[in-house]
Amino acid sequence: MARGGMAQSYGQLRAGSYFSDLITQRFYSTKKTFNRDKPHCNVGTIGHVDHGKTTLTAAITKVLSELELAKAKQYAEIDNAPEEKARGITINVAHVEYQTNNRHYGHTDCPGHADYIKNMITGTSQMDGAILVVAATDGSMPQTREHLLLAKQIGISHIVIFINKVDVADDEMIDLVEMEMRELLTQMGYDGENIPIVKGSALCALDGTKPEIGRDAILKLLEAVDSYIPTPIRELDKPFCLPIENVYSVMGRGTVVSGRLERGKIKKGMECELIGYNKLIKTTITGIEMFHKTLEEAEAGDQMGALLRGLKREDIRRGMIMCKPGSMKAYDHLECQIYMLTTEEGGRIRPINHMMNGQMFSKTNGEDVLRRFNESIGFFVFSIVLKLIRPMVCEKGQRFTIRDSFKTIATGVVANTLPSLSETERLELIEGKKKLKKRLAQA
Amino acid sequence: MLSRQFFRSIHTNHILCYTSKKTLLSKLRKKTGYTFINCKKALELNENDVEKAEQWLKEQAQAQGWSQAMKLKSRETSQGLIAMITNSNHGALVEINCETDFVARNKKFHDLAQIILDTVLKHSMTIQQDSLVKKTVLSTELINNLHANDGKNLSDHSALTIGLIGENISIRRALCMSVQPGAYLYGCTHPTPVNPVPSSFGRYGALIALKSDEDKKVLGMQLCQHIIGMNPIKVGDPKVDLPNDNIEEEPIMLYQEFLFNPASSIQELLQSEQAEVLDFIRFEMGETLENRQELNSVETCG
Repeated sequence: MARGGMAQSYGQLRAGSYFSDLITQRFYSTKKTFNRDKPHCNVGTIGHVDHGKTTLTAAITKVLSELELAKAKQYAEIDNAPEEKARGITINVAHVEYQTNNRHYGHTDCPGHADYIKNMITGTSQMDGAILVVAATDGSMPQTREHLLLAKQIGISHIVIFINKVDVADDEMIDLVEMEMRELLTQMGYDGENIPIVKGSALCALDGTKPEIGRDAILKLLEAVDSYIPTPIRELDKPFCLPIENVYSVMGRGTVVSGRLERGKIKKGMECELIGYNKLIKTTITGIEMFHKTLEEAEAGDQMGALLRGLKREDIRRGMIMCKPGSMKAYDHLECQIYMLTTEEGGRIRPINHMMNGQMFSKTNGEDVLRRFNESIGFFVFSIVLKLIRPMVCEKGQRFTIRDSFKTIATGVVANTLPSLSETERLELIEGKKKLKKRLAQA
Repeated sequence: MLSRQFFRSIHTNHILCYTSKKTLLSKLRKKTGYTFINCKKALELNENDVEKAEQWLKEQAQAQGWSQAMKLKSRETSQGLIAMITNSNHGALVEINCETDFVARNKKFHDLAQIILDTVLKHSMTIQQDSLVKKTVLSTELINNLHANDGKNLSDHSALTIGLIGENISIRRALCMSVQPGAYLYGCTHPTPVNPVPSSFGRYGALIALKSDEDKKVLGMQLCQHIIGMNPIKVGDPKVDLPNDNIEEEPIMLYQEFLFNPASSIQELLQSEQAEVLDFIRFEMGETLENRQELNSVETCG
């Protein structure tokens, strides 16, 4: 879903080339095809408003465009990112793409704390690493701490620092800024001593003056990003997972489950586990089929069917997950970050309160859910605790949607899985609902 | 030659710089928190005397803040927070804006908010009380000219913070509410946990004046949260106002479902609690931004 969203925005922003879906590869287009020979990585710039984040982004594209690795973007193009309406939710993000000799990058400018979290939840932007921009003249600002807190919160463990504006600072100041940044990063729980710090001037790079602190520094920075920020693990290399869409029983053969393989690879004869609806079934995949043809191996992105050994059709149902044994688990108690749709986006007018009832949809699963909030009311972006009546297969970072009977009210991402509910807690959940109904009936 | 030196500084083992002896400049920066460029200037002007330089910086901070404030004046402030304070009979709500919500989460910004709150509250105590509950809207000009406890006015204070943080800051609006004995005042902000501290910060804020025989803290707090959540436009009078056909869109507080117990309306709740809502006020961060043009011409940033 996230990738799809990105592909969409790329497609819109970059006329002339098409960022085909990372997984399927089945989209044929007359436009220039996206070259997949380099691994992809998402980076973003964070820092104070006046320290030159946008200038740096513009400078990177300019320097790389000279090497024919990017399309140069003007400052204004990046700064005035168009508001997009993707999947009904308004997002505001500037996507810039470029590549180095080693990797292909998607570059975002981190807008604000709440806005970034919103983008993350809705899947419109993500960062595998960050470039923290700090001006040599000012040093770190009081709010740099907050910038790093955000990075921590969203799980960015690799940061590269660019000390900007060295053209108007002297050596002593630059060294001190570096020292200060290392200290601050260590304080914030990063590896302050070893984080790469590059000094330069984005403005010089953009103007094409003083190549030693302009162009060369930018190249130095990209080299540091290349080597320090690790390439995210590809979907293909992860343990396999297939959300079940349909179950068939094929005469004379057995039970077949179908769906789109979300990640990993499946080979004939592999062990698998089916989880969901309070069940955990272990079995073996005895055959793989795609377009009514059998095949030996299926890859992430394939719409496929799998023949399972020794199962009845009644044992399995839509919404369960077939995965590598031990790689996933069902939970009924989750900590989540959610974004509530505004009324313009079709969300609720009223806030949601604790004890509210709704359905949670994720992958192919729709589950009844009771929500209890750590805050009694919520708006915009906040974190909540969800209690499910039945456990659902979840993992950290999984996206979901919450609907009440009529409309989609929120979309969210699982931040943490909590210990399972005890039997009494579960009873309380259902009990509470009944009681509430009774009270409503009396009134 | 120069370039070689520069690149060497990049390649240098970081540990070396990390442990290098603290210079005067870093000492001054650590102590004062002012930008490197200003610290350097201070040292140059005061012949490397750290104490004198610090003194100079402090004297300059106000002027620096003002010049920074003038420079950033035109920049839009769309983030920020709503701050709320109450003491026994007086309360105040203030909206303070900045450019990014990172700053809105920063301690320095909260410190400024606290100063503004204390000052506005102090001012509200001087307002003549002529009714059971009195609501006063303060004009931007008036707020900026209020004097804090240390004698500086609020625009000086926000200029100081602008100098420190480097973002435009504006005090957008403030409102005081006072009650006389017999009525009680409650306030809360969201999203901060409800706690008994006298002042708090959030994206939303509400103050409510309740008439009742005794102090009803829990009810008052819940009603405040109700106001933040359900956004009523007025308390309403059962003799004059009629309930809306669609309960979901009910704008009058008395007829709304109580947020914490949808089975009862506010009217029923107040009856059973023997309380009366005299007045309330709700602030939402950024809700007045639509009339941006008007605000820009009024505001003097600080």
